[in-house]
Amino acid sequence: MNVVVKSKLAGLILAFAIIFFGLESSYSILLFLIVMLSIGIPHGSVDHIIAFINPKARKFNSKLIFYITYLSLIVFNIALWVISPFLGLLVFLIISCYHFGETQVIGYNPTDNKLLNFVVGANILLSLFLNNIVELQEILYIIPEFANLDLSAFDSVFFLLISVAILMLSIVNFEIKRKVLLYAEITILYMVFFHTDLLTSFALYFGFCHSLPMLMLEFEEFKNDNFIKFYLKTLPFTILSIIFGFLLYQFNNDLLTSDNLILFVFIIISSLTLPHVFIMKDFVKDK
Amino acid sequence: MEMLNFIFDAASIAPGDFTGFTFFIGSVSMLAATVWFLMQHGQVDKKFKDSMLVAALITGIAAVHYFYMREQWVLDGSSPTELRYIDWILTVPLMVVEFALLTGVGMRKLFWASVVMLVAGYFGESGVTGMLDAQTWGAVSGLAYFWMAYEVGCLSIFGGPSGAVGNALASGSGKIPEAGRMLQWFVLVGWAIYPIGYMAGTDGWYAFVAIDEGAMNIIYNVGDAINKIGFGMAVWHAARS
Repeated sequence: MNVVVKSKLAGLILAFAIIFFGLESSYSILLFLIVMLSIGIPHGSVDHIIAFINPKARKFNSKLIFYITYLSLIVFNIALWVISPFLGLLVFLIISCYHFGETQVIGYNPTDNKLLNFVVGANILLSLFLNNIVELQEILYIIPEFANLDLSAFDSVFFLLISVAILMLSIVNFEIKRKVLLYAEITILYMVFFHTDLLTSFALYFGFCHSLPMLMLEFEEFKNDNFIKFYLKTLPFTILSIIFGFLLYQFNNDLLTSDNLILFVFIIISSLTLPHVFIMKDFVKDK
Repeated sequence: MEMLNFIFDAASIAPGDFTGFTFFIGSVSMLAATVWFLMQHGQVDKKFKDSMLVAALITGIAAVHYFYMREQWVLDGSSPTELRYIDWILTVPLMVVEFALLTGVGMRKLFWASVVMLVAGYFGESGVTGMLDAQTWGAVSGLAYFWMAYEVGCLSIFGGPSGAVGNALASGSGKIPEAGRMLQWFVLVGWAIYPIGYMAGTDGWYAFVAIDEGAMNIIYNVGDAINKIGFGMAVWHAARS
């Protein structure tokens, strides 16, 4: 059993436990923070090494150019959210659809079919959002075009049906080596998204179907025999990211005129994701 | 302890509540079947491993929803229609997938048929579209069901024609034809409870089918358990050869 499957199984067991025994919604923010800090951010905290590890990967002439490019993309994304939250969300969705899909198909198909990557990622995000649409509308109140949509005529079964129908059509219309297993995994995700709230759903998906498998693949790529040593390498930039987030939050009340912590975290995640996507695109090429 | 209560708390079902009891039996039997299929996953030939995994997934997803359905039934006595649909939307396509796994053909047609069957069934039962009546949507859903039954070769049981999947099942190696015949019976007879339940729950020319909610849930619960576990057992039968 490879590391990707093992990581996903860990998430599956946790997801089933949460669905069976229920998780008070007041704990979902705690679960979200634990997963983000222990797995989510660390999986992107070795980008500065990953960018130089694969000879076929995008080449940066020096570490300095890498850091300037990487940080510029983060700043650009934050600025985009500040200037136009709608555009910020749009960019986040487009790059996330591609990135999540690309990593999702690892183990089921080569990652070179870009359209497939995008469609799979879009399927997952669509289901995550549709199954928790009311919560999402509350969080994204700064985007009135979205927050004011009246969806009261539709119930959760309808949204799940849309997700499953799109997934089925995607699966049969793309050449995928292991269609059934990909379909089965995404079906489990749909169940998780339906039965848990937005934060728990995102934490379970992002933590165990995306970040942990990637973290384990990075560990393999580093050829370290000790996972602790590898994990320690992720800490400096994880801590820097947290400090960066904290500082931005102090600044945020004036800048974003928003005191919504979840929205703030949403923006931080999207900003960290933008440069990370470009690094991972090369990293997963042969996976 | 609370955890064990959640799973095994049959005591909370009122004496004489046979419907509640079938929800309980449904949930624990699905859970037991899931464990069984997972255990068998390691024992079967490599080419059947995905089939066993999907069988376990079908009963696993159903077990989760039956726990929730039982709770809803016990707490307020209402029919858990929404949870039932969630369960079906997730598991019916996976049951269809079993045919494709055994034969290697027909996934596209069967997926299309199940999309039409589920979407039309839901539109008819919920009335969410505001267009057409329940019997029209039911007819569309029924046609998709018959198309699927034809594709998997249900008519061949009586010497009739068969679609590509049915032909592939008949010409399969080992115990696949035998298991295929079992699956065809499940689709033909076992799945027939779903249109009956639809007719019992919606208005139309078939008003004579109407039965009370408790009885309807018993039919669904027993039918679901037989179909889902039986489906997996048929696949296991083919796999263990």
